[in-house]
Amino acid sequence: MARGNWTQVILDRLIWIIILLVVIFFALTTKDFLTGINFINILLHASVLGVLTIGQAICLMSGNFDLSAEGTLSLVTVLAAWLMLPYREMTLAQAGGIGWQLSPFIVIPIMLIVGALVGLVNGLLITRLNMNNFIVTLAMQLILRGIAFVISMGAIMPGTPEAFNWLGAGRIGPLPVSVIVTVLLFIVTGVFLNFSRFGRELYAVGANKHAARASGFNPKSIVTKAYIIGGLSAGLAGWMLLGRLQTSVPNLGQGMTLETVAAAVIGGVALSGGSGTIIGAFAGVLLLSVIADGLNLMSVNPFWVDGVRGLIILVALLLEAQKVRIRVHAARASSPDAQPEVVAK
Amino acid sequence: METTSVKTVLRMQGISKAFPGVQALTDVSLEVCEGEIHGLVGKNGAGKSTLMAVLMGLQRPDAGSLEIDGHIFTTWSPHEALTAGVAYVPQHVTMMDSLTVAENILAGEMPINRFGVIDWNKVFAESEKRLNMLGLNLDVRERVEGLGVVEQTMMAIAKALFSQAKLIILDEPTAALPRADIDRLFNFVRSLKKTGVAFIYISHHLEEVFEICDRVTILRNGFLVATRDVSSLDAAELIRLMVGENIKEYSRVTARQPEDVLVIQGLTRRGHYEDVNLVVQKGEVVGISGLEGSGAPSLGKALFGLEPMGIGSILVKGKPFVPSSPRHSLDQGLAYLPQDRYRYGLVSLRPVRENITYTILDRLAMLFGFINAPQERSLVQQYIDQLGVICPSQEQRVGLLSGGNQQKVVFAKLAATKPAVLVLHEPTQGIDVRAKLDIYRIVDELSAQGIAIVIISTEVRELLGVCDRILVMYEGKITREFKIGDPETTPDNILLAIEGGNNHGQR
Repeated sequence: MARGNWTQVILDRLIWIIILLVVIFFALTTKDFLTGINFINILLHASVLGVLTIGQAICLMSGNFDLSAEGTLSLVTVLAAWLMLPYREMTLAQAGGIGWQLSPFIVIPIMLIVGALVGLVNGLLITRLNMNNFIVTLAMQLILRGIAFVISMGAIMPGTPEAFNWLGAGRIGPLPVSVIVTVLLFIVTGVFLNFSRFGRELYAVGANKHAARASGFNPKSIVTKAYIIGGLSAGLAGWMLLGRLQTSVPNLGQGMTLETVAAAVIGGVALSGGSGTIIGAFAGVLLLSVIADGLNLMSVNPFWVDGVRGLIILVALLLEAQKVRIRVHAARASSPDAQPEVVAK
Repeated sequence: METTSVKTVLRMQGISKAFPGVQALTDVSLEVCEGEIHGLVGKNGAGKSTLMAVLMGLQRPDAGSLEIDGHIFTTWSPHEALTAGVAYVPQHVTMMDSLTVAENILAGEMPINRFGVIDWNKVFAESEKRLNMLGLNLDVRERVEGLGVVEQTMMAIAKALFSQAKLIILDEPTAALPRADIDRLFNFVRSLKKTGVAFIYISHHLEEVFEICDRVTILRNGFLVATRDVSSLDAAELIRLMVGENIKEYSRVTARQPEDVLVIQGLTRRGHYEDVNLVVQKGEVVGISGLEGSGAPSLGKALFGLEPMGIGSILVKGKPFVPSSPRHSLDQGLAYLPQDRYRYGLVSLRPVRENITYTILDRLAMLFGFINAPQERSLVQQYIDQLGVICPSQEQRVGLLSGGNQQKVVFAKLAATKPAVLVLHEPTQGIDVRAKLDIYRIVDELSAQGIAIVIISTEVRELLGVCDRILVMYEGKITREFKIGDPETTPDNILLAIEGGNNHGQR
């Protein structure tokens, strides 16, 4: 019994143990890894990825992918720059905005609303028209990025206003605002999913939508809400990233969607829906950020970086997959009534 | 039957298999001889499919052994089962539909000429020859998708025989077939039987079992009930073996109060049920029994909004009741316990606590939708104690509980809504005998609280123990009513009515 419980305790914290091991490895092999500045760097990397991952994790918990997130991010950043910046003829692939020079206090709500609308459309297409979530959001990603390219004509738009940049570039004491906001957001979302009615419904729908419906839930509306949250988080991530770079680039965020899926899954969010925690997803984000930073500091040959990152992700996933098997054994050892968790057809 | 001199093709012994929460098979044995058509019957969930999955190597049994044609296996894979000569022909045959009959038959051994190109003349001639040997006349140049259902089934059988099958499992081959096609299929099967091929024949249509089978094996709740020569059985006896339950008699005092809670008038849904009229009073327990296709199961689902209700009127506590969705039904005071608790009853990944309060989050939610956790915990504990759910803690995943305790969690979830009407569909399916008694007690307590209860079930003896009266549905209509205490109300009479005996004469 006691042994079963201990295994359980360790398994529940496996991802943190992996992070610790990776940190120790980089600390021993890389000179500048264990410095305050580097930790801030890691957290900065973790912030935009983290905000996007919150949305992704919630969609995954409902049993659906949101591949459109990076498209949304790209569109809202281009849109924001276009609305805020003064007009300027395109030169050397650089351009200004449309010339309206809207205030950031108008533009920021617009970014969030556009994000939420994208989520709403995703959700409606998937739940009302019974379209496949993977394909719908993949198509949406292409469409949104396409619009971003059309608006910007492929040009970058530099020089976003000071007030806008606060979230991405501002600091409170030594800490970047984006890091503080991201951490707060994870805490708030975690508490919300754990203790609110929506969290309850989300997990139930993701795990078994038939039973959820028979329990009186409306799976369609819950999945749609998950996508709206996904869109909102992409809008927020866009604000953060554009504020940091202060320049809109139409292919911003390329490849980030799959990184968010990887982060969530490494953190224990099941692709099949209904399980995982937001804190786990946060751990996944941290692990990916530590690895990216560490490989950078080790000055690993850039041609190798992607391969090595992929490999590490695979190993982390492998350990997570083994966890389920070990857990079943532990459960069996600790409770005679327990049976192997095979889903009966 | 002349079993003594005949060779045994298949011998399964002591097969047991457990899934989470269910003991699907317990010590089941099955023997099939050469040239025998062996019926396999039992209600849904009796273990037929699991037994066949074990035979085909798709499920590994927890215990037991298998002997095919003298080879003894303790573990076997689908490939080994196939090479040993076991073939499975499902209700809906899957083949390469867009290819011709000939191509399907010769798949993997297409003859080629000296230029390395497929020799089509030979393909058609050879496949035609093979089919003729079995007495089948099909146009080998036709595409499979153009064939009728029965031709496809016969072709699948033929194909299995070409790959040296000795034992063919026919799973509900006649569902949705017109009589003429059934005759053609049966003639084909009988002609093969003469050549020594053995068949396992799974069907819900008992008259077909009598028509074509030599022996029949009956399963119930994962146990082997009996293997009998068909000639020594009649329909009533067979049904009794399928559904009859000799558990300890359960008796109770009625809690019926003179107040109509559920009133159904002229409810009709074409192809499912017709002109259903039913009044259930406060605290009354009414059983509805009927075989697959009798309309009883559809009625339960329709009342909860899982299927369309059709036309007619339903009143709950005097107010018009429209079941447009489960939420809507719950709000109007009707709760439903589904037959398939894994799919519709429980979210097995989530803890007991969450599962019990799914239906009443409205009441527990506070500002911003946050759930009142202390109130939730005490409410859940109250139901756990009241219904006697045995679980290590409220946080235990429901999927890890035993079948009986899982069912109690579903009951708690429904009781929490304080319904006026409770519809239960096979409430004791896949539950051990002791837990069954607990479930009866729960039903009793709920009726004592004034809930009107409808139990849709084929467990006749069980209904006799817990109900105030029992209605029998046959072909979509309520055909008989049995009141508890009447001399007429005996298991045999009810079984006869379920089979349609009293109303339609000899079938």
